[in-house]
Parts: sequence; structure tokens; C-alpha cells
Amino acid sequence: MVSKSSNIIEVKNLTKTYPGGTEAVKGISFNVREGEFYGFLGPNGAGKTTTINMLVNLVKKTSGSIKIDGVVLEDSPDEIYKKVGFAMQEVGLDEVATAREMMQLHGRLYHMPKIEIDAQIAKLLKLVELEKVADKFTSTYSGGMRRRFDLALSLIHKPKILFLDEPTQGLDPHARQLIWGHLRELNKQGMTIFLTTHFMDEAQELCDRIEIMDKGKIVTEGSPAELMKKHSAKNMEEVFLKTTGNTLGQEEVNANAPDPFSRSRQRG
Amino acid sequence: MNTFFSDWYYLSIRNIKLIWRPLLALLPPFFMPIFFFAVNSLSLSALAQVPGFPDVSYKDFIAPVAIFTAIFFSAGNAGIELVQDIQSGYFKKLIIMPINRLAIVLAKLTEIAVQSLGQGIIMLILLLMWGVKIQSGFLGVLAIFAILTIFAMAWSCIGMISALRSQNARLVQSLFILVFPLLYLTTSQSPRDLLPSTFAKITDYNPVTYIIEGIRALVLHGWGSPDIVYGFYAAGGMFVVLVTLTLLSFRKALK
Repeated sequence: MVSKSSNIIEVKNLTKTYPGGTEAVKGISFNVREGEFYGFLGPNGAGKTTTINMLVNLVKKTSGSIKIDGVVLEDSPDEIYKKVGFAMQEVGLDEVATAREMMQLHGRLYHMPKIEIDAQIAKLLKLVELEKVADKFTSTYSGGMRRRFDLALSLIHKPKILFLDEPTQGLDPHARQLIWGHLRELNKQGMTIFLTTHFMDEAQELCDRIEIMDKGKIVTEGSPAELMKKHSAKNMEEVFLKTTGNTLGQEEVNANAPDPFSRSRQRG
Repeated sequence: MNTFFSDWYYLSIRNIKLIWRPLLALLPPFFMPIFFFAVNSLSLSALAQVPGFPDVSYKDFIAPVAIFTAIFFSAGNAGIELVQDIQSGYFKKLIIMPINRLAIVLAKLTEIAVQSLGQGIIMLILLLMWGVKIQSGFLGVLAIFAILTIFAMAWSCIGMISALRSQNARLVQSLFILVFPLLYLTTSQSPRDLLPSTFAKITDYNPVTYIIEGIRALVLHGWGSPDIVYGFYAAGGMFVVLVTLTLLSFRKALK
């Protein structure tokens, strides 16, 4: 069990202004402790996806600082890439490759020895219960299988931190429960998990600590119990509604923010 | 293995598998060149009797066009595959890995080179079965493939640049229509001396003219023609310019 005392993610005064002037993130600061299951919530267009993309260096920050496991992001991005796994909103699988082939390739691209890759493949496919379809093309997988495989793929290089952007989006309750089980297991093994989600029950169920973001700023922070007490709410959904209010205006603003490598994705 | 070469190697293997997955995708690039070669060599064979036409059969004269067209269509796949990778999110996965960015581009070029060679060999076998003769022999065949492979890699860059700029599959796919101006505003169907002077001037500015004529020299006359060197120059020039532009587009996209 990890102590959850030292900060593994340190973010200070982080901002992102897209060309055209859209301010998606407005000077946020937060820390995530090692081994923590950390929830990052907010309505559509709040700046969640922009923030998570900045943390993994997919989107360049405008200002502020990001330190991951003691390494300043822009000083050594390759070192950061080895420390983090990222399961994105869009699953992004190679449709004409099998799960095993994709995992082998990713292991190789993380410069892992073959013997270690094979061991990881066996372990991860077992974790996400996909051993039987490991040699089938990923295009034949259901939505839930694709999500579970994407989760396994993001873990191939044994990252210390796992970033998850809406990992259960579009899944049925059974598939969601399966993913939750896998995530709990990973967190129990000591992995730090950074989760963005629209599902308040998911955040309440899984997260040690939650921050809620709205209109590019963090509006509240604490454990689910603390937040419910602080905002006199029965559950996280009530906390969410009380802290974010009507956000349609900002959703429309942030919908115009460019995403460098996908035109179709939904922003959070 | 050095990590750069290892990244290039493993990404190339991944890309090369895309060539035959699905297997049926291998067939369409052959349809148009075979169709036009068959129709033109049968219907326009009398052109070879026109005064001023070289002393060769029309089918031998247009054989380089058939191989060129097959390779042209294959080279266009690089852009389409890149758009698919970008739209699915797979490209994002690649760029947050500790891999050399140059290896991503080189692996695409390697895929195109392998595909061009494979499709070129199949097309050549079909042409030989049709009775086409290569006067420059086995070494000439190697030279033909060298020119075409360099061109194919260069042409694939047009697709990749468009993919990075537009991220739009329809736009990238529609680039195949460029085969018509590029191929028909050349000496592909008729020798330069038989073309109207304005048309002949236009062909002078089209690099594909020199590629077709370089290959044609190897098919019809063997070694010794300066057209072979010009063919290499044209393909090499396109390669240098377009690969440079692709690398710049990659760098810009990653910023």
C-alpha cells in the first residue's frame, strides 16, 4: 500500500488560451498524491480534457508549471511518457491489428525487453478478461471490450500514473462495473489514477479526492464525504449541480477550442 | 538496437501489415492501370505507325504508364491511413510515447516503398505475360523499381501533408484525381515530337514526364539514354522537396 503522502502531480497556475482567444483553463493549481484515486470533474467545456491533455503533453500549456513525479514536463517529456499511461476519450485502436499485436508493438515502442512484454501482455489481458480474444482483430470487439483493451494497452509499460478521460463513456452498467473493478484493483496495487468523468456515481464510488472544475477554474475540492458535507448535499450529483450551475454558455465557447489531432471528439 | 532504428523498425512492421489487411484492398490499385493498358494498347496500337513515332510497339511504349499508375494509387494510401490514425485517436497514442518522431514518418515511407515494390513486381509480371519486353534486362528492372519507389515515397508525402493539415479522409482520398493532370500532361500517350507545341511545353514542366521517359528508356532502349538520369533526378527532386515539407508539417502539427 502506498502512503499517499508525497505529491506525484504538481500543477501551478496552469493556463491555456487557444489561438483565437478562447480561455479553456484559467490559472488552476492542484496536487495529486502518490497512490491517490483522484477525480477531476466538471461539465462539458469546463476545461477537463484540455487540462488532462496538457498533463500528458498532447496540448501545450500557455503558462504555469506541470511537474510529474518530480520531473518538469517540458524539461523531459520522454521521461514523463514512460511514467504515465493515458486511456483517452476516443479509444484509438488499430482496427486491423490484434490485441496481442498492438500490445507487443507498444511494448517495443516503450523499449521494453520481449520477455517483459510477454509477461505484461499475459497479466493485463487476464486483468481485463480478454485472453480469449487476444488474437482477434480489435475491429471485432464490442464497445466495452474496446474500452477494457484500451485500458490494458495504456498499462503495458507499467506506468506510475494512469490518466483516464471518460473511461466508461457509452458503456452499459455491466461493462462499467467491470472497468470499475479493474481500476480499483490497479489503485489497490499502488497506481495513482487521475480520472475525468461525467458520472457522479462513478466519482463518488471510486475517488479518494475530487476537484470540480467549471469555466476553466477549480470551484471546489475535497473527498466525496467532505464535499457532500461542505455543500449540504445528499450525493455528488447534488454537489456538482450546486457548484457548477448553468454552464451552457461556456460549453459553447470551449466547443470552438481546437484539438490538434481530432476534429470529432467531445471536450470536457 | 539504437532506439531510433528500433522505433523505425517496429513502426514499419506495423505499417507494412496494413498493406494486406484486408487482402482485398490490394486489388483496386491494379484495376485502372490494367484497364487503361488493355484498352489503349488494343485501340491505339495504330499510333505506332504514325510517322515520327519511335520504332517500337505501342504496348511497349505505354507499359511504363501502367506500372506508374499502379504505384501512384498505392502511394496515396499513406495519407488515408494517417487520417484514419488521427481520427481514431491512434496517432495521439503514438505521440505520447517516448519514440523518435522522425521514425513515424520514415516508417510510413518504408511501408510505401515495400508496397510499391510488391505492386510494381506484380504489374511487371502481368506486362511481361502480355508480351512487353524490357530491353535493359534485370538491372534495368531494378532501375525502374528504384525510380518508381523514390517517386512513390515522394507522392505519399502529398497525402500525409494533406492528412496533417486537413484531417479529412474525403479530401485526402480525392487526391487520386491528380493522377489525370500529372499523367496525361506528359508524354505518356505519345512522343513529344508528335504533341502540339503548347502541350509539349507543358509536359516540360511536369516532373512526371521525366519519370515516365526515364522508365520508358529502360523498357525500350536499354542503357545509355540520358532520360534515365533525368528520371532519377525528377523522382529524387520530388522526394527531397516533399519529404522536407512532410517533416515540417509533422513538426507544426506536433507543436
